[in-house]
Amino acid sequence: MTTVFLADDEKLVRRSLEKTLLRAGYDVLLASDCISGGEVFAENADKVDIAILDLNMPDFDGMPKPGAGLDLLARLKEQKPSLPVIILTAYDEVTKAKDAVSGGASAFFVKGREQGLVELIQKILAEA
Amino acid sequence: MNETDPRLMPRVLYIEDDENARFLVRRLLQGKYLVLETDDPLDGLSLAEDTQPNLVLIDENMPHMKGSEVATRLRKTLPEARLVIVSAESSEGARERALVAGAVGFISKPINVDTFVEQVDSFLDGKREELEEAEQHMQAYQEELVERFEGNVRQLTQTIERNRYLLAQNNNMIAMLERRQMLLEAAARVGQAVTSILDIDDLLMQTVDIICSEFEFYYSGIFLLSDDKHWAELRAGYGDAGKEMMRADFRLPVDRNSMIGLSILEKKGQLTADVEAQESRFKNPYLKDTRSEIALPLMVKSQVLGALTVQSDQLSAFAEEDVTALQSMADQVAIAINNARLLQELENANNELVRTKTFEAIATATGEAIHWVGNKAAPIPGSTQRLREDFSNLLAMLSLLRKREQHGAELEALDEAVQDLLEEANERGLKLDELASALLSYPPKRLMALLDIESTLEDLQIIEHSAEIILGIKEDMIGPARQRKPASFSLAEMLTTLVNNMGLPKDAVETQWPGDLPHAFGDARQIEQVFNNLVKNAWEAMEGQTDAKIWIDARIADEPDHLLVTIKDNGPGIPAGIQEKIWVSFFTTKGDRGGTGLGLSACMQIVNQNNGKIWLQSESGRGATFFVLLPMANNQLSSRRKQL
Repeated sequence: MTTVFLADDEKLVRRSLEKTLLRAGYDVLLASDCISGGEVFAENADKVDIAILDLNMPDFDGMPKPGAGLDLLARLKEQKPSLPVIILTAYDEVTKAKDAVSGGASAFFVKGREQGLVELIQKILAEA
Repeated sequence: MNETDPRLMPRVLYIEDDENARFLVRRLLQGKYLVLETDDPLDGLSLAEDTQPNLVLIDENMPHMKGSEVATRLRKTLPEARLVIVSAESSEGARERALVAGAVGFISKPINVDTFVEQVDSFLDGKREELEEAEQHMQAYQEELVERFEGNVRQLTQTIERNRYLLAQNNNMIAMLERRQMLLEAAARVGQAVTSILDIDDLLMQTVDIICSEFEFYYSGIFLLSDDKHWAELRAGYGDAGKEMMRADFRLPVDRNSMIGLSILEKKGQLTADVEAQESRFKNPYLKDTRSEIALPLMVKSQVLGALTVQSDQLSAFAEEDVTALQSMADQVAIAINNARLLQELENANNELVRTKTFEAIATATGEAIHWVGNKAAPIPGSTQRLREDFSNLLAMLSLLRKREQHGAELEALDEAVQDLLEEANERGLKLDELASALLSYPPKRLMALLDIESTLEDLQIIEHSAEIILGIKEDMIGPARQRKPASFSLAEMLTTLVNNMGLPKDAVETQWPGDLPHAFGDARQIEQVFNNLVKNAWEAMEGQTDAKIWIDARIADEPDHLLVTIKDNGPGIPAGIQEKIWVSFFTTKGDRGGTGLGLSACMQIVNQNNGKIWLQSESGRGATFFVLLPMANNQLSSRRKQL
């Protein structure tokens, strides 16, 4: 069973993505910000096959911060360097998303077409 | 020598303009005679009457009057006095003239000091020189007198005429000075009035009004040069004629066929004293009474802005002084025009800046709003997809249940799942039992209407479609905001490819640019999107129009180091009222025929981000022209400069 770790502060987006991932046959672990994300991942680091992190969400101090997802990305990579990570961009901060890719993320994905995200996950896992 | 009472001595008057002669005679006669002197013949006449001398010595050659004439005169007023002419004149007849004039003797100059006193004595004693052929000499003397008289009359007449002429000249001079004073005062008034007016049309109108009312001229008008400098366009005209000409958009070509044209070409005032005599003058049908006119260039530094015309219904109404005064006024008007223009330019630049900043702010704000809405809408397609799956699954379950006999034991698991499903639905308050009993009571037709698959799928589609639009808008916005990759690119290639790929009818698009058009600098993909939008908009605006045509033109811009692309159509144009709104997001004239109203807003954002400018010129019914100004590529700049 493949386990996907999803961190997004937007409740409906998170729930909708979760349902899509569940239907696609994945196990899903959820977090709503960097703090909870750090904790959930620390407990389940071994299980998680791929992480999907929102770019903008509350940071490790609990304050909303653009690009906080990159902080979480760094934390995850510390614990599991081989982990594939997809960065979700709500805004089209493609520059930042590209920074994310150079910072260790496998890809970035502009929110909106959930089926596209499933295909992207399948592609990354197949390559891994 | 005996002391004698001077009152008893004989009185001798000597009329002589030579001081040395008077001195000599005084010395010779002093003591023996009471000597009276004067250097002026007219003075001598009155002095003689006052002093009643016994003898008068008269010099022949004096200014104004000859000695013999004085003698003739004294002969009448002092019949008792002895008159003697003293003269250096040695010519024939001098002595005879003296004697016929009334003198008793003639003494030659230089005065002989040895004999002079003796001579005087003898004349006083009654000596009278005899004259032969007196009649003949008298006649000669009279003729001479008449001739002298005529000469004097002539001289006097000339003097009077000369005086009259001088008087007239003085009067002219005074009038001229007064007029000049008036003109200068009026010029100063115009100067004061105009420099405080900053609206050009107001300024020009007031100037021609002041000129005509202050100077009482028939007409005055002000022309300004057109942008291309080929025309002098009337911007203010005095009176009814002026109004008519303004209504008719009166203008003159800048050539040698009009005084206005000539004054602009030569940067010099033109004066015509009699317009009938001037062949080359433009005959203006609005100003039939003009008899003389001047045209003065309006100049600031050496630059000509236009020209001032002043016309009179009098011949030769303008003196050189008028030209000077009016030119000084024209100079002030020119400065005022220039000031007003500078202010206008400043205002335009400021408005342009405010406009650009406003649109940028609006674009940014709407952009953020769109992202927010777009993000909120992000789950909709996923949810719809799942509902469609759920609905299909329910229908599949129904079909299985209908084939209960066929499947038998295989359906046990399904039964259980349906059982769980129904229980959960009841728990969640869906009241399925109530709905089921209601369904039983409905006629078949009603049942069909309740469970309309087409309608359900359609609803799902509506939700999906609406979400697509919202997400589509968001993706449109990503276009302008995406990371730019500015580089040098060929506008000519881009426009050619674009036109070829748009699939417009042949001949609908006409392109034009120089073969050596420099490359532009910017994000080629974004800029291509701008031109694509503009051409598409133009084409859609002309829908149903059989003569629809688009002109695309690219050239080096007047702005240094920029290229200018114009996209012009012959469509219905864009009404002035919405020309500003078209740049605002979500504004669309296409109604529900598609279009999110983001095209031009995005175009402006893209062009601004690429350090260019975009603007529009349009009039209702006369097509629209979009202008896109883009920076020239750097390498092109340097190579072009080298060429220069």
